[in-house]
Amino acid sequence: MKTEADYYALFEAYRAGGLADADRTTLEHRLAADPALAQRLQEFEELTGTLTAYGRRQALRQRLAAIHADMVAEQAPRLDLAKVAEQDERGEQFASGQAPRPMLRISRTEQKLRAFWQGHRATMMVAAAVAVLAVFTTLLGLEMYRTSQQSTSSRNGYTMLRREVERIKRDQRSMNRAITQIDAAAPAERLNPGKFSGTGFALTADGYLVTSYHVIQGADSLLIENRARQRFRAEPVFTDVAHDLAILQITDKDFTGFGRLPYAFKRGQSELGEKVYTLGYPREDLVFNDGSLSARSGFEGDTGFYQVSIPVNPGNSGGPLLDDRGNLIGVVSGRQMDVQSAAFATKSSYLMRLVDSLSAAGAGKPYNLPRYNQLGGTTRPQQIRKLQDYVFVVKVYE
Amino acid sequence: MGKGQPSYTDEEFVAAIRRDDDRALAQLYRLHFPMISHYVLQNSGTDDEAKDVYQEGVMVFYEKVRDGSLELSCQIKTYLYAVCRRLWLKRLAEKTRFGGRLDDHEPFLETGAEADLERAEEKERQLGTMAQSLDLIGEPCRSLLEGFYLLDKSMQQLTDEFGYTNADNAKNQKYKCLVRLKKLFFNQYQESN
Repeated sequence: MKTEADYYALFEAYRAGGLADADRTTLEHRLAADPALAQRLQEFEELTGTLTAYGRRQALRQRLAAIHADMVAEQAPRLDLAKVAEQDERGEQFASGQAPRPMLRISRTEQKLRAFWQGHRATMMVAAAVAVLAVFTTLLGLEMYRTSQQSTSSRNGYTMLRREVERIKRDQRSMNRAITQIDAAAPAERLNPGKFSGTGFALTADGYLVTSYHVIQGADSLLIENRARQRFRAEPVFTDVAHDLAILQITDKDFTGFGRLPYAFKRGQSELGEKVYTLGYPREDLVFNDGSLSARSGFEGDTGFYQVSIPVNPGNSGGPLLDDRGNLIGVVSGRQMDVQSAAFATKSSYLMRLVDSLSAAGAGKPYNLPRYNQLGGTTRPQQIRKLQDYVFVVKVYE
Repeated sequence: MGKGQPSYTDEEFVAAIRRDDDRALAQLYRLHFPMISHYVLQNSGTDDEAKDVYQEGVMVFYEKVRDGSLELSCQIKTYLYAVCRRLWLKRLAEKTRFGGRLDDHEPFLETGAEADLERAEEKERQLGTMAQSLDLIGEPCRSLLEGFYLLDKSMQQLTDEFGYTNADNAKNQKYKCLVRLKKLFFNQYQESN
């Protein structure tokens, strides 16, 4: 009895054609007669066939790997290092005679991250762009909002007190409408109330007035209105930006003069604690306010100003500041927002120095300042009654 | 093409590969790799996966040509694209449950590649089983069989290499090894069926 290995030797010889003719015919007869033997031959052929196919497949794989490696090497400049590493591994495994290349190990996490980046690059770009845009829009919007909130007349907490008439007018328009509906007769004419308003007072009897510089800043034309609603056209004669002072002159031909001024201008400085008061037009009517002189320097130590504890409002700017005896000691200018009741007024000594220098220059009409104070020793209401005809609304048109 | 390399038509490619022309194979490989690489990368694959899929596709084509059983009813390019597309679809299905539509950038035609691929898969399985069996058989049978069938060494070479006293001894050993391999192979092949 032959072993299976013996049969295999026989089969191999048979397939290779290495059998003698007699042996071959015997085998063929036996194969025809014995199906088990035929089955065995078939298995043998399948096995060797698969083995050779496997060998060819391996060789082909190796060839393709080599071709690929060559191709990659040609494109060396844009070579992926991870691929080189793998090519190297394969090269070694199949001993394809390739020189080992330096390899760079890339960790699994990094590979994953790279794959993720490859896949979602576009999405991430868009997300980043949107984020950047959102940030800048928010910042810009906030900045614009803040600047729009900040009125131009206020900086560092210092607020100049000229009144924006338009805003108040807008607020009151609805109220006016209600009134005109009740009162069927419409108002005869509506006067242009101007853009800004402040307060001014007489400097000389013949038509010079004083107000704050910031009230008339940027003005096209100025109108002076007294308590009796009489209007005069005026022009700025001189301005002093540093001390926030402006000198106006009434230019109307039919203006005859204010009459004798009841107050005098103080050339020296006033003492701390002096009782002071002011008159002004923060609204359509004359308003009185009083307080004390609380410091002899102004905002951020400015020695051209007093600090006074008078509650002042937009529209008070340019109003006269008087002491108990009726001496004019300053011109109301502004207030500090973040400090309780801190208003500032230009010292009258600076006003006097300005007037003196102007008269010395000899430009325009001479300045005849009042010499005597008629208010001393009278009560406040009496003083105010005399004063009120010399305090005016300054209306500014732009 | 360029670089002074001869450029082939499809028919010339087939003829050259049948002659086992290495240069033609290399050229064919280079010619169509960018297309498959692009396709795989477009459909959430990596460079390595593109390479693997393409090499498998080229192998299917190559073996068909060598068998002489290739009936090319379309361009080689289209055939390779169809084969690689199928292979990549299968891989994707294994990798994820992503069974959705893929972005085709080449017209996809019925090329007969599908049927070829099924046969190729069957063969692939057979060869996989063979590889496993060879792993299991142990030394020196593995080296002996690989030497004879895979690396085409003569019996005399193997006799010298393994230190057998004569070629007949080596032959006997080889037949014994074949019997063992046969048992392993058919057992595994039937198991996996």
